[in-house]
Amino acid sequence: MNSTLINEQIYLKLITYKLGFSAQASTNEWAVLKNELIDGTLRVSDYLPSKNVLMPFSQWIEISSSKDIQERSLRGEIGVWFSVEDDILKYSDLIYAGKKLWSIIAIDFPIFRDGRGFSTAALIRQRFGWQGELRAIGDVLIDQLIQLSRVGFDSFELRDDQDLITALKQFDLFTVTTQNAWRAKRSLIALPERLETT
Amino acid sequence: MLIFFHNYAMYKYDQFDQTLINQRVVQFKGQVARRIDGSLPEDEFKPLRLQNGLYLQRHAYMLRIAIPYGMLNSKQLRTLANISTKYDRGYGHFTTRQNIQLNWVELQEVPTVLEELAKVEMHAIQTSGNCIRNITSDPFAGVSADEVVDTRPICELLRQWSTLHPEFAYLPRKFKVAINGALEDRTVLLCHDVGIELRKNDTDELVANIYVGGGMGRTPILGSLIKNDLPWKYLPSYLTAVLRVYNRFGRRDNIYKARIKILVKALGAKEYSSQVEDEWAHIKDGDDNFTRLEWDRVAKHFTRPLYKNLETQDSQELYKQFELQLQPNEVVGFKRWLERNTKNHQVPGYISVVLSLKPHGTAAPGDATANQMTAIADLADLYSFGELRVTHEQNILLADVEKSNLLNLWRSAKLHDLVLPNIGLLTDIIACPGGDFCSLANAKSLPIAKAIQETFNNLDYLHDLGGLSLNISGCINSCGHHHVGNIGILGVDKDGEEWYQITLGGEQGYHAAIGKVIGPSFKANQVHHVIKKIIDVFVANRGDGELFIDVYRRLGITPFKQAVYENDALKNEEEPQNEWAI
Repeated sequence: MNSTLINEQIYLKLITYKLGFSAQASTNEWAVLKNELIDGTLRVSDYLPSKNVLMPFSQWIEISSSKDIQERSLRGEIGVWFSVEDDILKYSDLIYAGKKLWSIIAIDFPIFRDGRGFSTAALIRQRFGWQGELRAIGDVLIDQLIQLSRVGFDSFELRDDQDLITALKQFDLFTVTTQNAWRAKRSLIALPERLETT
Repeated sequence: MLIFFHNYAMYKYDQFDQTLINQRVVQFKGQVARRIDGSLPEDEFKPLRLQNGLYLQRHAYMLRIAIPYGMLNSKQLRTLANISTKYDRGYGHFTTRQNIQLNWVELQEVPTVLEELAKVEMHAIQTSGNCIRNITSDPFAGVSADEVVDTRPICELLRQWSTLHPEFAYLPRKFKVAINGALEDRTVLLCHDVGIELRKNDTDELVANIYVGGGMGRTPILGSLIKNDLPWKYLPSYLTAVLRVYNRFGRRDNIYKARIKILVKALGAKEYSSQVEDEWAHIKDGDDNFTRLEWDRVAKHFTRPLYKNLETQDSQELYKQFELQLQPNEVVGFKRWLERNTKNHQVPGYISVVLSLKPHGTAAPGDATANQMTAIADLADLYSFGELRVTHEQNILLADVEKSNLLNLWRSAKLHDLVLPNIGLLTDIIACPGGDFCSLANAKSLPIAKAIQETFNNLDYLHDLGGLSLNISGCINSCGHHHVGNIGILGVDKDGEEWYQITLGGEQGYHAAIGKVIGPSFKANQVHHVIKKIIDVFVANRGDGELFIDVYRRLGITPFKQAVYENDALKNEEEPQNEWAI
């Protein structure tokens, strides 16, 4: 096993914010396998015998049929993450099949202001009907948490310099919305008294 | 001060709108505090402040406050006047996107300014940044004689839909929406990322035609029609599809190639619209769509004001009604003002009045002082049900004026320099703040506007020239809409010097056209001379009733080009560089 291939963020700040629950700091049980660290000749099973692994979707496409990966998936040890470049609608069949095997899906933000991941998340929830955990990884900052949590993310691996206390306070800043999103319908629908109070 | 208790016929926040705006202020306050204490670095703060309308300009922070679809009430304008006095230098700049900008605010005071704005149902949300911007619309909505559909309920519904939309807060680039419901287009619809044209179909149902991929900037393109007759309630789901395709596939590698127009051009409008249709097919029947209840809740605010029954007054020619009351020295000015600064209304006995924010050379186009803002608020209260609208030409509209009040209104407005009869004329210049303020600009806009206004200061001559648009942008970002001016002026940088490129033949409206470059660019002190030469060609060649744009279309660019470049005299006309400085 080559431990340098596992990202060091495994020990860092994680927030979970499940539907219907408050946001809270959590222990991170998933190691993200970064794309650039994968040597084409190695298989995931060679160096990750005992960890829960979030692997790049691009790797999943190549090795998901291996017996080892299938077994580990069934044991709940495998999740995949999508990069901003992944056109997920091109891989509908693989994703529908993968949904049954993955324990978690993550979406990577190479830089916080690259908004493609927001639409990827919306599609994963809306189109593919993913009910499991959806995690934001990469350049995940305090001031994007609200939007992330609304489009479909329910866990957030914060960049390590982000203040956890400030981050946790974000989720209570807004109590109303004016458009539908994964987490809540617009206040008109969620709180129908809007019609009566005007 | 006058106190009025108008029941404004415009949208009024309910508790949800107000809560959202208040909570947005709290959120931004926290972000500013973290910026000031250093825990939030500038490059991470930047997109946050931009999404709240706060730019860092050449000298100071600039706060762009939203005026959704251009509508304001007198109370809001008084608040803007007070804020500009208290936190700025006593004036504001109305923009081509129907917003208002304060040029000299301090970062630590911005949250307080936002708190004051929130008290009168105003904010600065999404007036900048790579998100869905404040929606622009027809300032004459609800009153113009050529109206097919009153756009305001849809504008408001889409304002709410787009406000803090979580999926589209980090688009590849800014995203501007215009909505028109009249026969004439007064929104520059075809130069927006999305243009929504509202119509009624055969069964009297409200439907939308959707144009996508228009824009100005360095790649001016007119929008393509990608959807006909979309029933109004589908707008949220359809726009989600439009934006989702753009958010996923718009270019992010080059800021100059990131607008939706580049994606639409690269894919072709047909392929782009088919991708949108594919996406929409999955979401069109979801509960994103507007409901009749929502329509009713919003639309009821846009009722007609309590117009009087004035049928009989309309039989008489307008000017005649005032002839006997006018002082001799008022006759010409008032007559010209009636001709240029008023517009027909749907309701007999009423008229719309445009107050000019384009004095000749004494203030920047679109600027209003705090005193003027207060005066305009008073005029709105006295003469127009307390409401006013901002036009994209950077003037102020009093939409519902009783014709019999025109003379009183004119006299009062005249005291505040608001009645120059130049609406739609050459000196009604659209201009961005340019290099005097903006850190993006290559060149100054305001001294150029000033020099042109002073050159054409003779009102007889100006009126004789007829309708003509002249637009100035200080850089290729085109905030001054130079591409669609009959005469367009663009500031360019040549080896660190400010030069100006001139285009001819641009037009807005449904006949929108992008102007053509006349030739090599000019120095600042040459521009007004060049404009004079261009106008001379027009005057020498015009037939009866022909406007500048008609002559241009008939003759093409060549005679103008010849006149401007016929000898090198222009190059020798060096003048002191600071002559036009303001």
